[in-house]
Amino acid sequence: MARTSHRERRLLRILSIPMFLLALTCVYPIFFSVNNALKTNRNYILDRFGVVSDFTFDNFVQAWTRSNLDSYFWNSVIVTVGAVALLLLVSSLAGFALAVLRFPMRKLVFIVILASLMIPVQVVLVPFYQTIIGLGLLNTRIGLILSYTAFFLPFSVYLMTAFYAGLPRELVEAARIDGARLLQVWWTIMLPLGKPALITLGILNTLYCWNDVLISLLVLQDERTLMVGIAALRGEYTTNVPLLSAGIVLAAAPIVILYVVFQRRIVNGIAVGAVKG
Amino acid sequence: MAADPARTTARPGAAPRRRRVRPGAREERRFAALFLLPAVLLVVVFRIWPLAWGFWLSLTDAEGLAEPNFIGLENYVEMAGDPNFLASMKNTGILLLTLPVWIMLPMILATLIHLGVPGGKLYRSVYFFPAVLSSVIVGSIFNVVLRYDGALNAGLEFFGIPALDWLGNGSTALLSLITVQLWATFGMSLLIFLAGLATVSQEMIEAARLDGAKLWALWAFIILPSLRPIIEFVAVVTTIGVLTNMFGLIYVLTAGGPGTATTLPEFLIWLEQGQMNRPGYAAALSMVLFVLMAGIAWIQIRIMSRNSGI
Amino acid sequence: MQPNDQYYTLLGTALSSGQGPDLFLLNGGAQARARMDALTDVTASADGLVGLAEFESPEGAVMALPITIQGFVVYYNKARYEEAGLDPDAPPQTWEELVSVCEAITAAGEVPCFSLGNKEGFAAEFFLSAIAASTLTDEQHSAFAAGDLAWSSPEISEILSLWVETNDMGWYPRGANSTAKFMDEYEQFMRGDAANTIGLLSDVAHWKQFEDFLGAEGLGVYRHPAPDMVSDHPMMPVAGGIGYGVNAASAKADLALELAQTLAAAGPIQTFVNDAGVVPANTMVDTSGLSSPAAGTILGWLDGSSAQMAHANVTAEELAEWHRQSQLLLNGETTVADAAARMDEVQAAAHGG
Repeated sequence: MARTSHRERRLLRILSIPMFLLALTCVYPIFFSVNNALKTNRNYILDRFGVVSDFTFDNFVQAWTRSNLDSYFWNSVIVTVGAVALLLLVSSLAGFALAVLRFPMRKLVFIVILASLMIPVQVVLVPFYQTIIGLGLLNTRIGLILSYTAFFLPFSVYLMTAFYAGLPRELVEAARIDGARLLQVWWTIMLPLGKPALITLGILNTLYCWNDVLISLLVLQDERTLMVGIAALRGEYTTNVPLLSAGIVLAAAPIVILYVVFQRRIVNGIAVGAVKG
Repeated sequence: MAADPARTTARPGAAPRRRRVRPGAREERRFAALFLLPAVLLVVVFRIWPLAWGFWLSLTDAEGLAEPNFIGLENYVEMAGDPNFLASMKNTGILLLTLPVWIMLPMILATLIHLGVPGGKLYRSVYFFPAVLSSVIVGSIFNVVLRYDGALNAGLEFFGIPALDWLGNGSTALLSLITVQLWATFGMSLLIFLAGLATVSQEMIEAARLDGAKLWALWAFIILPSLRPIIEFVAVVTTIGVLTNMFGLIYVLTAGGPGTATTLPEFLIWLEQGQMNRPGYAAALSMVLFVLMAGIAWIQIRIMSRNSGI
Repeated sequence: MQPNDQYYTLLGTALSSGQGPDLFLLNGGAQARARMDALTDVTASADGLVGLAEFESPEGAVMALPITIQGFVVYYNKARYEEAGLDPDAPPQTWEELVSVCEAITAAGEVPCFSLGNKEGFAAEFFLSAIAASTLTDEQHSAFAAGDLAWSSPEISEILSLWVETNDMGWYPRGANSTAKFMDEYEQFMRGDAANTIGLLSDVAHWKQFEDFLGAEGLGVYRHPAPDMVSDHPMMPVAGGIGYGVNAASAKADLALELAQTLAAAGPIQTFVNDAGVVPANTMVDTSGLSSPAAGTILGWLDGSSAQMAHANVTAEELAEWHRQSQLLLNGETTVADAAARMDEVQAAAHGG
């Protein structure tokens, strides 16, 4: 941000202090999880907050083997990548149509999609499950990919619509004056302009798909995704927190690493979309 | 200026009957249908149809595994006299009152990061961490932080402030729960606001700066108006989020108690569906929650649209 | 294994779609009763098993085969008794003795008398059953289960009063309503930060787990006393813990039944007893190999000191409401009379009133 006055820079510096404290609290859970994952259950019970003194990697080994994490891991990767790709494609098309194009029943379509965002998941479980069976999608990865796409689509379409609605309409009009067809407009203008929102959606949807337990439990019963395996590490009454922490660390690691590694690109990607005009 | 003038003049007979068709309008309609088809198909098959089914279920006495019988609105009548439902509505009301914080906090933080607060790059990635972790970990941490002999009370007592049972006390449990959930999810809204801020014209900000605009004026007159669609989006999505995504944390932190202090509709639905085995009544509760969320979303969108003059 | 918070949601979804598993696991009591319609009668296979009541249909047919026996006893930390000047080998046998034990421990000021986790209302569940075992007759238990003995009756509301009185006497640590029974309450006991706890017989929070922390010699056990006991000694509430039921809609019901029988049979249970430390439902199991003195004491009580488990007999609705009311009672946000009145309403509604 160019040309901030001296006083404003000082204000920003002061505001940075509470922001820094907030950041500290956000890092703590990672320390907490890793620290506990290295403890024996006995030591966790005796001292929850203490720094680990009796290092053990047993929890990681156990979490990995007991919950078949190696085979579940690939299920999760395939399903997440498939669903996120599909989500981005479908939602950018739909968002473009809803925000920019003029056509009859635009409002109705938007309302239907918005309304579907508000359906509590508990109530649709039985009919959803029967639909999956009826379509022959039970226990298939494609079934889970489609389910994720359907569940997270309303949110994605809504975000793309909101984002595209914020862009100056002249951009589209200008392209059309140049004789571009709509598919071209979408490909050459809307997709690049939508980059900040698409990257954000990519991150959020990856997180939703990766962390989901309930939908995956219903659709993929023979095999499992990673988070279902991890969730099953919890006992009926007891939770072996060190073991569960190890599982969660293993499951969250790919996401955190991806996010941190691509942080620069993500930030650039979000900034590139900044509109000149 | 027409994208395809040949098409609009191809059938001259059609034109005089209506107002002159905007050039390219037909193409636009055709493409809109094509672009929307996959989204609409998925949503209708996997979401709307199950919803209709759920509505039917809410009109039955489905309980256990017995054949459901149609009972009209009886479930809805029962709800009116169900103290747990009434308590969950009261809790929802309190929760909704905190909504401005859920929206303002990430928006202000995102704006500060966008304006180049020192350390902004670090905060951007770190704020997202709690959202990555499962509610079990978040719950385990706050269980111990908020318990009676926990870290928070220890800190307060150091300053001479009397200890409180934050999660076990009827008057503080819900607010504690809300605060933890806010902390655990604000990173997501922050990310969305950052994307939205990218659409704010840098040139306009520069120009305003040259005119000597102060930080707050910049925020109020340039940034805020450009963010309107995103604010609306975050408002609607957050409302839905707090009413449908808090189960994990409730389950770990308070189990709906003490009494009904943290029983939100979502938790009650889970209780009736899974633990009481009453899918009919659970479906009716879900319908009420659905209508409630739709109503609030409608109001939010109306307010935002009126302000933006659309 | 399934994630537990969604187990019954998923089971219900699958069963009502006609896709349920051939064989499934059920907790005894309310959860089992709610799913009776989906189960096959397995009475013929129940020979030699105890703890069947929890899995019986209203007509008395056995609908699931219990694997383990579940029940409540009080475990105590002998070192804490000694510190308070109490005889670690003479645990309380009467209500008066228990009150004076708690007075001594509270006076010593080191730890609370009982650790208590009532976040989910489980501590109140256990308390209800522990007291009712000694104060209700078999007929009263059955009447309570059938909804004929009201919560506001002198017998039951006495238990609600005791719940409040024991809290007022300072038996429990502050913050019980925000403490999870599993496992925060028990971890506190295992750390030695409480003198007593109402624990289980099987699976978790039991002698085996506690001995791991306190040592076999450091752990004692007694049956929870109550005022005005029916018998001359306290009784121990017991029930079938976990059982396997056969899906009535299963195409492979025979196979599933065979598997359920195998799981409940003496052989596999023996391994389970030794490794996990459970009290088996199958009376044919040889438990003589157990080295735990506490387990030996408990096994001696199974015959002659067993009573019904009151909380497992009531409906799921009453149980959920008791969770809520018990928390309000601890917080002083309601009175015994109001709580009992509300429980009566729920009880009447649940029994079709």
